[in-house]
Amino acid sequence: MSNIKGKAAIVGIGEIPTGRHADKAAIHFAVAPAREAIADSGIHKDEIDFVMPTGAVFNSQFNNDLVTCRLVEELGLKNVKTNAQVFAGGASGSCLVKTAASLIAAGIAKNVLCVHADKLGTGLAGGQAGIDLFSTAGISGEWEVPYGQHYSTIAALSMTRYMYETGCTPEEMAAVCVSNRKWAELNPNAFFRKPVTIEEILASKMLSWPLNAKMSNMLFDGGSAFVMTSAERAKDLPNTPAYLLGEGSRVTHFVHSQEKDITRFGWADAGRDAFAEAGLTPRDIDVAEIYDSYPIYELITFEELGFAPRGEGGKMFASGATWPGGKMPTTTNGGMLSQGHTGAGGGVALVVEAARQIMHKAGDRQVPNARFAVETGTGGTYMDSQVTIFGNEIP
Amino acid sequence: MNNSPRIRPIVNPCAQPFWDGTRQEKLLIQHCKECQANIFYPRLFCPECHSDQLDWVESAGKGTVYSYTVVYNNSPSAFLQDIPYVVAIVKLNEGVQMCTNIVGCEPEKIQCDMPVEVVFEKLDDEFTLPKFKPAQ
Repeated sequence: MSNIKGKAAIVGIGEIPTGRHADKAAIHFAVAPAREAIADSGIHKDEIDFVMPTGAVFNSQFNNDLVTCRLVEELGLKNVKTNAQVFAGGASGSCLVKTAASLIAAGIAKNVLCVHADKLGTGLAGGQAGIDLFSTAGISGEWEVPYGQHYSTIAALSMTRYMYETGCTPEEMAAVCVSNRKWAELNPNAFFRKPVTIEEILASKMLSWPLNAKMSNMLFDGGSAFVMTSAERAKDLPNTPAYLLGEGSRVTHFVHSQEKDITRFGWADAGRDAFAEAGLTPRDIDVAEIYDSYPIYELITFEELGFAPRGEGGKMFASGATWPGGKMPTTTNGGMLSQGHTGAGGGVALVVEAARQIMHKAGDRQVPNARFAVETGTGGTYMDSQVTIFGNEIP
Repeated sequence: MNNSPRIRPIVNPCAQPFWDGTRQEKLLIQHCKECQANIFYPRLFCPECHSDQLDWVESAGKGTVYSYTVVYNNSPSAFLQDIPYVVAIVKLNEGVQMCTNIVGCEPEKIQCDMPVEVVFEKLDDEFTLPKFKPAQ
């Protein structure tokens, strides 16, 4: 078990609306939310001593810029000692948090700026280019790409086996998308904000049976950022701090077809570690920011963390329990399915949303009196299971 | 109709015997002489015990479908011409598992845990891909 509980906190957040912004350069998506997060934190820009961009995938030149300190210079941060990229695909949000918190706890950094920016909505040459990019990113060029594996098939493989083992219905699977959309309707930074029904989802184009088009995320431009500092410093800052209370994680594969259980992954073990460190149980959690990208992963993670018995999660998503006003508010920014997928940023957005809820700054979608939030992330072909727990008090 | 070139495997030289094997319609996996583990995909060292004493052995080519999906839309460019096609994970009786295509039957007939056996599909003069069909 880790030993990071109560040592660091997110104290400032920033985010630009997910969308298609062809008129803006990728750097805009980085500096705008970074500036917002610094201003929100109440920490002066020249107190930021560690800048931690995550990876951008639309363009290697832009990613190289992030690696080579462009953000420090663009933002005019005068006292940065280190700029180092932390990149774990979709798990980058969780990994930024635990890396930043560890550096703070060790005294290596005082105030860490974590930033994601990518331009997958307008930076690629059309929809097929996105499919082709993501048919090789994280997918083995020797053992899977030659068989036509891509992200739709990867999600569908988990769906097929999960539905076979549990009896979960397509309607219950679609209910996860409906739940996320209910939240996105309340999120001004989400791209998809019109109500959607189970029937519309199941009637949409079949991509890779049993995965429909409206069960799939779409790629957009986006950027988000957060500032972490020590728990001691956090007490004196304007926002209610989102203290990091626990973390747990497992890596289970690189090549997707080598995964031993594509209906479970490492979530149960990762969750157990995170809850044990926090001294909490799933019953204590007020809001669950569960990584989606496809409904199957949100469902599996929800169940494996203990929010529903295996095979029963879909019924909870269908019942309204995970919707605004429900007893277990889940993925309250709408997730990648409704806010939109921005690359590594889908997970960073969930970290930002967890902090936003804990800070009580979520506006129309604020979960009343939220004290404790769990956040999850996973990268590549769902290669890892990353769990963090935040709270506005240290139990 | 899209006519993108076929995707050829990006070969790690340590796996060359595997691809030489499929060209001769043999499904070769590795076997660790130290800890007796069966290994796929091919490695430089045993992933169980880190031994470098690895043999190549021929798989019987029989297993079961762990999971599968039928691609109808939005495939990568090189596979648009193959739609509909089936991507599956097959668990071989030797205890290893692999990504593959299920061929030689209607996609609707496929089920999880269905027994399958290997067939070999020539991609070009250099590469032959192991695929699977329902067991006889």
